[in-house]
Amino acid sequence: MSVKVEVGAGGIPHNRILIYGLVGSLVLIYLTYLNTITGTEYFSFFGGLAAVVALLWGTDTIKHLCSYGLGTGVPSAGMIALGSGVVAALFGATTGPFAPIVTIIIAAIIGAVAGLMANAVVRMDIPVMVVSLIELAIVGAMTILGLSAMACGTFEFLGMITGEIAILGFVVQSYEFSLIGGSIIAVIFMLGAIAIQHSFNACLGPGEQQDRTLMLAAECGFLSMIPIAIISFAFIGMYAAIISLVVSIVGWLYTYKKYIELSKRDAYAWLDAQPILEPKGGA
Amino acid sequence: MSALGGPKQTGGIQPPTAMGLVLGIVLIVAALALAYFLVQMAGLIALVGIIIGGVLIAFGVHFVPVGGAPAAMGQAPGIATGVAMLAAGAGLAGLFGGAWAAPLGLGVALAGGAIGGGLLMAITCTMVNVIYVFGMGIPAASGKVDKDPITGDSFPEYKSQGTEGHGLPFISWIGGVIGGALGGLGGTLIYLQLLDVYQAQLPVILNATVEQIAPVAISLAGIFAVGMFLVNAVLAAYNITGTIEGPHDPKFKRFPRAIIAAAVASAVTGIFAIGLLQLVGVF
Repeated sequence: MSVKVEVGAGGIPHNRILIYGLVGSLVLIYLTYLNTITGTEYFSFFGGLAAVVALLWGTDTIKHLCSYGLGTGVPSAGMIALGSGVVAALFGATTGPFAPIVTIIIAAIIGAVAGLMANAVVRMDIPVMVVSLIELAIVGAMTILGLSAMACGTFEFLGMITGEIAILGFVVQSYEFSLIGGSIIAVIFMLGAIAIQHSFNACLGPGEQQDRTLMLAAECGFLSMIPIAIISFAFIGMYAAIISLVVSIVGWLYTYKKYIELSKRDAYAWLDAQPILEPKGGA
Repeated sequence: MSALGGPKQTGGIQPPTAMGLVLGIVLIVAALALAYFLVQMAGLIALVGIIIGGVLIAFGVHFVPVGGAPAAMGQAPGIATGVAMLAAGAGLAGLFGGAWAAPLGLGVALAGGAIGGGLLMAITCTMVNVIYVFGMGIPAASGKVDKDPITGDSFPEYKSQGTEGHGLPFISWIGGVIGGALGGLGGTLIYLQLLDVYQAQLPVILNATVEQIAPVAISLAGIFAVGMFLVNAVLAAYNITGTIEGPHDPKFKRFPRAIIAAAVASAVTGIFAIGLLQLVGVF
C-alpha cells in the first residue's frame, strides 16, 4: 500500500457539500411524506437518512467555522446548532405539508440572528460566522425533524403529539404516548447533538482528512438512527420499524467499516514520522 | 489546528457595533409587538420572562470558572471542560429542580431551579478541587489576581512557572455557585413562562382538558427551555472566548455584550416558541 492520499486537505469544496446537504435532506424528508400519501409507514426511515445527510453537511460547516479558533471547543457549535434547530423544527412542524421548507426558513432566521449577535455585539468578527450559524441552525433543525419523522412516521405536529395505546384490546388515543408527550424529542435532541459535535472533534488535527471526518459523521448519524429505530417500534407498525432498524444497522456497519479503513490509511501515512503538514484548505 | 484568523485578542474591550445595537433593539421591539399581537398580554409577559431568563443565563455563564483543555493539564485555573458542557449541566440540573417544583408556584419553582443549578456547581467545584489537590497534587492559585478578593490568600507563591495558575481558588468556587444558581434560575423562568402559554392554548386547540395535554405542554416547554439555554450559553461562551476564572477575571467586564446578545437571541427564539401553536390546524 502506498502512502498516497486520494482526497487532499481541501477535499470537496464546502459550497458543494452545502448544496448536496440542503437539497438532499429536503428531498429525503419529503420522501417520508409518502407515508401520508400511501397510508403506510414503510417510508419512515427516509427521515433518518435525511438526518444523516444533514449531519454530513453540518460536520463540514463546523470544520469550516472552527478553523477560526473560537476558543470554546467544537461541541459548543453543535450545541447552538441543535438549540436553535429544535425551536425551528417544532415551529415548522406545525405547518403540515410545508413543514420542511418552513423549518429551513425559520432556522435560517434564528441562525442569522445568533450569527449577527455573535459578530456585531459579542464582536467575534469572524467572516464566516453568520453563514455558518445559519447553516448549523438548518442542520440542527433538519436533524431533529428527520429523526422525529423516522420515530413517529410523520413530520406533522399533530402526529407528533398524538399516540395510540392498546389497553385491554381497546385502542385509545392519548397525548402521553406520543413523540413529544413522551419526551422522546429530548432523546432525539441529544442523539443529534452528539452526532453533530463528535466527528470533527474526534478527527481534528494536522492529519485531518475530509473523507475520514465525513465518514465518521455518517457513522455517528447511523448510530443515532439505531436507537430511534428501536424507539419507533412504539409509534409505527412492526414491519416498518424493522425496515428502519435494518437500514440503520446496515448503514452503520458499512460506514464503520469504511471509517476504520480510512483511519488505517491515515495512520499508515504517518508511519515515517513526517513533519507536521499544515492543511491548505483552511482547517 | 492553525489559527487562520479569528477574534482579535486586543487589550481593551471592543464595544458592540452601532449596527448590532440598532438591529438588536429593533428585533426585541418587533418580537414584543408580535407576542402582544399573537397572544395578547399573556404573550407579552411570557416573552419578557423569556428575555430575562436568557439574560440571567448569559450573565451566569460569566461567573462559572471554565478552564477548558489547559485546566485538564493543570496549566490554567478552572473546571476542566468547556462552557457548553458546564452550562448544560448546571442549567439542566436547575431546570429539573424547577420543573419538579413548578406546581408549587412561581417563587418556589424559581428557588428550586436556582438551588438545583447552584448545588450542581457546588458539588462539581468541590470535587474538581479534591481531584486537583489530592489527585494531581497542585495547589489552587489564580494567575489573574494576586490576592483572593474574599479570603485574602496570596497566589503568586503557589503559582507554577509557565502556567496561568491552577486549581480552583475560593473566589472561583463562589463564582461557580453563583453562576449555577443564575443559570438554573434563568432556565426555570423560561420553562415556566412557556408552560403557562402552552397550558392556556393547548386545551383550546385540541379540545382537551389541562390534565390530558400536560405531557405535551411540559415536554414542549422543557425542550425549548433546553434549546434556548444552550443558545444563550454558547453566545456567552463566545463572549469570554472559551475560558474564564470567575468574577475576578478581567474578562468578566465583557458581560454587557453577552447580555445584549442573549436578550436579542432569546427574544427571537422566544417569539417562535410562543407562536408555536398559532399555525396548528391551519394547513
